[in-house]
Amino acid sequence: MTVTGSGPRREAAAWPDPAPARIGFDEWAELFETIPDEVIGRYHYFPPSRDQWSLYLFPPQTFAIYGCRHLRRLKFDNSLAALRMWGFVQNETERLFRARQTGRRVIACMGDLGALPVIVNSFPGCVAFYPDCIWWTPFVMESRVLFDAAQAQGIPEATCFSRAALGAFARHAYFPDPELVIAATGASCDDYSGVEQLAARHAREVLWVESPLRHSCGKVEPATIGLLVSEYRRVVERLERLTGHRLAADELQRGVARANRVRRAVGGLRRLAYGRGVLPALEMMVVEFGNLHYYSDLDEWTNVIEHLLATARARAAAGQRVVAGDGLRIVWVTPPADPLLLCYLEDRGGRVVGTEYVINQALEEMDEQQPGLEAIAGSFMAASLIGTSRQRAESVLSQAREQNAEGVLISGILGGSHCAMEARLIADRVKAGLDLPVLEFDVAQPAAEIDRQTRTRIDAFLELVRSRR
Amino acid sequence: MALMPAADRERVKAKRLEELAELKAGGRKIVGYFCLYAPVELIAAAGGVPVRLVRSSARAESAGEKFLRPDACSFCKSCLGGFGLDPLSQLADAVVGVTTCDMMRRLPEAIEACRDIPTFQLYLPRTSEPAPHRLAEFRRQLGKLGEWLAGLTGRPPDEESLGQSVIAQNRLRAAVRRGDELRAEVPPAATGSDVLDAVALAGMLDPETAARVIEQSLSQAGPVRRPGARPRLLLGGSIITEDDRWLVEMVEEKADIVADIVCTGARWAAEQVTVDASLLDALARFYFGRLPCMCRRPNNRLYEHARRLVADRQVAGLVYKTLLYCDAWSFESRRLHEELGIPVLATDSDYSGQNREQVRTRIEAFLETLQRK
Repeated sequence: MTVTGSGPRREAAAWPDPAPARIGFDEWAELFETIPDEVIGRYHYFPPSRDQWSLYLFPPQTFAIYGCRHLRRLKFDNSLAALRMWGFVQNETERLFRARQTGRRVIACMGDLGALPVIVNSFPGCVAFYPDCIWWTPFVMESRVLFDAAQAQGIPEATCFSRAALGAFARHAYFPDPELVIAATGASCDDYSGVEQLAARHAREVLWVESPLRHSCGKVEPATIGLLVSEYRRVVERLERLTGHRLAADELQRGVARANRVRRAVGGLRRLAYGRGVLPALEMMVVEFGNLHYYSDLDEWTNVIEHLLATARARAAAGQRVVAGDGLRIVWVTPPADPLLLCYLEDRGGRVVGTEYVINQALEEMDEQQPGLEAIAGSFMAASLIGTSRQRAESVLSQAREQNAEGVLISGILGGSHCAMEARLIADRVKAGLDLPVLEFDVAQPAAEIDRQTRTRIDAFLELVRSRR
Repeated sequence: MALMPAADRERVKAKRLEELAELKAGGRKIVGYFCLYAPVELIAAAGGVPVRLVRSSARAESAGEKFLRPDACSFCKSCLGGFGLDPLSQLADAVVGVTTCDMMRRLPEAIEACRDIPTFQLYLPRTSEPAPHRLAEFRRQLGKLGEWLAGLTGRPPDEESLGQSVIAQNRLRAAVRRGDELRAEVPPAATGSDVLDAVALAGMLDPETAARVIEQSLSQAGPVRRPGARPRLLLGGSIITEDDRWLVEMVEEKADIVADIVCTGARWAAEQVTVDASLLDALARFYFGRLPCMCRRPNNRLYEHARRLVADRQVAGLVYKTLLYCDAWSFESRRLHEELGIPVLATDSDYSGQNREQVRTRIEAFLETLQRK
């Protein structure tokens, strides 16, 4: 394969998207052959890098060879923007090691899912990432290696898949050893808080950050914001010591604005995808989780997201969709660790029209009129898990009403603290609030296929939803 | 042999149940709580009657599964089920929950939703480093609890009653600490069960009575010489309720529990409220800074405490009992083993009692191993 090296960006070569469809691994491999080299050479991470090492537009095949076996079983959107997104996301481990090689500071953020990277990325030369997101790796690789490594650290089997992050810390191979770990805990799940505590044994330094409780009334008091701002100030001070760079107020404001740009684009994508079916649920889960840490490269992720948004808009304008318009409209609660489940739902005639993936705090735009830390704190208080199950159920109900959903699906994890305590409460409220069928199930261990019991349950659930039409 | 015979203990508890029923009938509010971070002084100062609900049973756990998934913490399920079964829990007019581990944080919401009992969720930062803003926030939360209690009882907690309550609880903690010191002697002059009994009584009786009863029973203490070498053990793990004391009794048939780090044991009494500023400030400092539960972050101070106990009390092994799905404690079993450097017997169970005989076999094997060393 020849690729363009450094030089002015060339837009002449083009690759018109085929008619929207969900395609398999092999189809992408074939389609990839038709993409001109010039197009492939256009996309680099860590812009403005134009170096060969920063290319990332590769087909899923490449990453399957690296061990991501599950990619062979997924169905992907067939647009160039989606391919670009997959290449970028799958390339993240390489990117983190490259960050270290190129003199960037690699900072691990843990537990708060969305707020801390806004601060870290405001520092020049700092790259934030969430080890939390390693929880997909055992499924994508169809491997128990990370769970076994976590077990060797003392974490039992029946706990959240997020324990994979501890395995990754212990093995020192999935990301470079971070220069600092910023671990948020507080009104959060037990599993991950426990992972953080044990990961601290493998970290150079851990800065603990408190995630406050949002009381049942739902109102956020100024004092609570004040507490968070004080916590974030400690983060800023620690990063200033680490980098030797004093963070100016306008740098932080710019950091907030850059993160908001992504959040706005993702908001637009959610409206188009869930409202008009222009992108599959699988890609949308990857998109939503991009709001956490932008897959370790905010600038290029912004380009990727805006490319996707342009594709989604073009499809909507042309009246095209990638999931059937008459699909059974489902709100999905808690992200499935096995991405194949999202494909399966669509294969069986379902369509995701709303999500509550425990990352509300990352979807909420920050108020740019406020000082930076206050703005970050304000949006964090929308977090999914710091409040009550009732508040989470209300968010599900509101999306279900808005999208005229026909069913709610809650995927959980055996032994996950919040799953165990709130799944039934949420299900009961949804049933009482909208009289919708609810399917609640636990995602099984990593495997090549979805287990038969889960498939049967999803099938039966969709049949029930269909029968109510 | 227990300093306070079981029959006497049961009599005291039965009498207290009657008293509580009378207090309730007389208009007093019975305020249930679970955790050693619940500020009982404040509840009492507002005219409430604090009662620690650390009861559990297989029946209550099954009843709780009507509302929570089977993989929820056994204690949470048991508490929730207990409001329909347990005479003490049924007396509760309200519940004060504390945000410690996630499951306990979520329990009050479940109690309100499923049992229609008003609850207050006291937000205690999980981060244990005493940064001033964290302490200030916790102090503010105590103020809010005071207001909520005043709404419940019609009596705001004032400085005078708060002061009296602090003195009473400090005396009670001192009495329990005395028991803890006695069991640390060589040979022990009290048992692990004695300390757990004392803490259980402290959570149920009014503090003056509890202190008197505990002081009286401890006054009879003296070195108990038992035949043969008995291993000196540390007890750790999830909450040990009154109803799952079978494990402690099994262990104490052949060994001495000379220290513990459980929340229903000596950790409850490990410190005193020091009053050198406003009482609410003192309470905030006290509760925020208690020896951390394993779920607080970082929990290194609990490790330091455990290491000190092992060294000071010549501990030969750790009996570590966790509840199924108790992440806070079960995750730490291996780390404790590594950091304490002593043999560990780790057991994991619910309240069904189905694995008791298996546990007995494991305890016996563990103790034999220790005795051979």
